[in-house]
Amino acid sequence: MLRKRDQLDNEDGLHRGVSGRYCKSGSSKWLTTTFTRPVVESQRGKGKCPSLMELCTYKIREDIDNYGSFSMLPRDLSQQIFNELVNSQCLTDVSLKAFRDCALQDLYLGEYPGVNDNWMDVISSQGSSLLSLDLSASDISDSGLIYLKDCANLQALNLNYCDQISDRGLQHISGLSDLTSLSFRRNSGITAQGMTAFSSLVNLLKLDLEKCPGIHGGLVHIKGLTKLECLNIKWCNCITDADMKPLSGLTNLKSLQISCSKVTDFGITYLKGLQKLSILNLEGCPVTASCLDSLSALASLLYLNLSRCNLSDDGCEKFSQLGNLKVVNLGFNDISDSCLVHLKGLTNLESLNLDSCRIGDDGLVHLTGLQRLKCLELSDTEVGSNGLRHLSGLGNLESINLSFTIVTDGGLRKLSGLSSLKSLNLDARQITDAGLAALTSLTGLTHLDLFGARITDSGTNYLRNFKNLRSLEICGGGLTDAGVKNIKDLSSLSLLNLSQNCNLTDKTLEMISGLTGLVSLNVSNSRITSAGLRHLKPLKNLRSLTLESCKVTANDIRKLQSADLPNLVNFRPE
Amino acid sequence: MKKEDTVKLISAEGMEFVIDKEAAMVSQTIRNMLTSPGSFAETEHGEVTFPEISAVILEKICQYFYWSLQYSRGKETEFYIEPELTLELMMAANYLHT
Repeated sequence: MLRKRDQLDNEDGLHRGVSGRYCKSGSSKWLTTTFTRPVVESQRGKGKCPSLMELCTYKIREDIDNYGSFSMLPRDLSQQIFNELVNSQCLTDVSLKAFRDCALQDLYLGEYPGVNDNWMDVISSQGSSLLSLDLSASDISDSGLIYLKDCANLQALNLNYCDQISDRGLQHISGLSDLTSLSFRRNSGITAQGMTAFSSLVNLLKLDLEKCPGIHGGLVHIKGLTKLECLNIKWCNCITDADMKPLSGLTNLKSLQISCSKVTDFGITYLKGLQKLSILNLEGCPVTASCLDSLSALASLLYLNLSRCNLSDDGCEKFSQLGNLKVVNLGFNDISDSCLVHLKGLTNLESLNLDSCRIGDDGLVHLTGLQRLKCLELSDTEVGSNGLRHLSGLGNLESINLSFTIVTDGGLRKLSGLSSLKSLNLDARQITDAGLAALTSLTGLTHLDLFGARITDSGTNYLRNFKNLRSLEICGGGLTDAGVKNIKDLSSLSLLNLSQNCNLTDKTLEMISGLTGLVSLNVSNSRITSAGLRHLKPLKNLRSLTLESCKVTANDIRKLQSADLPNLVNFRPE
Repeated sequence: MKKEDTVKLISAEGMEFVIDKEAAMVSQTIRNMLTSPGSFAETEHGEVTFPEISAVILEKICQYFYWSLQYSRGKETEFYIEPELTLELMMAANYLHT
């Protein structure tokens, strides 16, 4: 049950399911809310030959103290050097000075250690060239923002988690009218008063004020930002119905996230005119099925999250008017089978989440026509084996979660024809080897979760059919080393969790030493000892290793890490 | 070595470097010049002049071409770059898509 918490509020992941490009900002490189730095190859020198450009860049990084200025270089080269220094965490306030007047366009310094107001002078010297700046989680303060007036062409600015920025700092960005993307996540210093600065940012397409608890009343200042396409004010529990009124004219809005606010059905009525809205996240808002009246006016709506709201069966008939929906999350609501009748007509649905709803076998019959369904979440429902027959015809299903349901072995053969299935969660105590036997035809499976299922060594024979498995969890306690023999050849595995099988020994580690694709491994609560750790040396991709309650100390793992596993970043015990 | 298997790279000062075509093709820019039919005089003569690249840099670049070939054949050695050449070399590498 604990593990389910991790799945909450993963909106970004679900967006990708729908389209992935909803939040496209002016600078096309960023599609997500946090600027991500270019991924660096962690294993240089392996495989691909480094280009001469790369070799020069590394060389400069090594000798960085010998360079006084890069301003004579073409911009794209100094940019490349800058990025390399940031990625390797070699940039300091001293080496930063070499980048003065380099006309850099992108400064991704989000979560970079040591960034403070002293950096702003060099940052602002990029002047009108600077297009995007990420200073998230830095010590930049209100007075540091004064420098930004020199960067009049700035299009994207991220100042998430900057505790020292408040209303007073906002006034310094009010002149940056080229801004298309602005983000101030988790800032408790911003209030309605400071938000007056936003009213001049007329080109803004994307505004992110997630977890800003003081912004109630401030949205009135974005009323005129009619180009706005994405607004994220989730986890702002100060937001009320009155705050919805200024949004009513933002007719270009495509994505609106107001989860965990105080908005009720009445507040939702203000959204009726948002004809381009395709993503609406109301998770945890005190809305009822009555809000569906307003939502049915939203012709473009594709993604709707009503998880943890106050929905009941009463009024759910209005779902039938939302026939365009592709992704619906109704999890953790007090709805039953009689609500599902009204989903019958939602034939465009690709993803349906009914986690912890009062759904049983009879309700699933209403899903048989949802032929486009790819993802179905039935965790913690009353669904049992009899209900699974209604899923047999859903040939496009790629992911089903049946954890903590009452489905038994006998029902699983109803799933055996779902050849598109990639992810299957059967984390339920009553599932055994016999259930697994019924699923051997599902050779496309990449994720199989049998966490609490009672799988024994003989059951692992069936795993041989799942050659494409990338993640596997079997933690029911019934495995011994003999069973791991059937796992050792699943060469696509990147995540393996065999914890709670208290009879596993070092022999297990020896057997899985050929699974070099493993990124995450958990064999906690077993008889693994420090002597067995040497078998893990070939697992060069391992980033996470968990061996709690084994005869292994943190020091043992640390030694292994420094000598053989350079990519290991998380380990337990620690 | 047959003439058509080599190319001549000429530096700003006029210094000529005759190297294997295979090595020169490590550079995407040179590859394009040598393989796009008709569009470059270089294709016919097997000669490329770099008015912006000095001899000392061009020599280093030729060394890189051969190093790169060896690397891709499994001989993964270090490629040494003199610190004083680095910036100029980087600009040339950028031009040559190397």
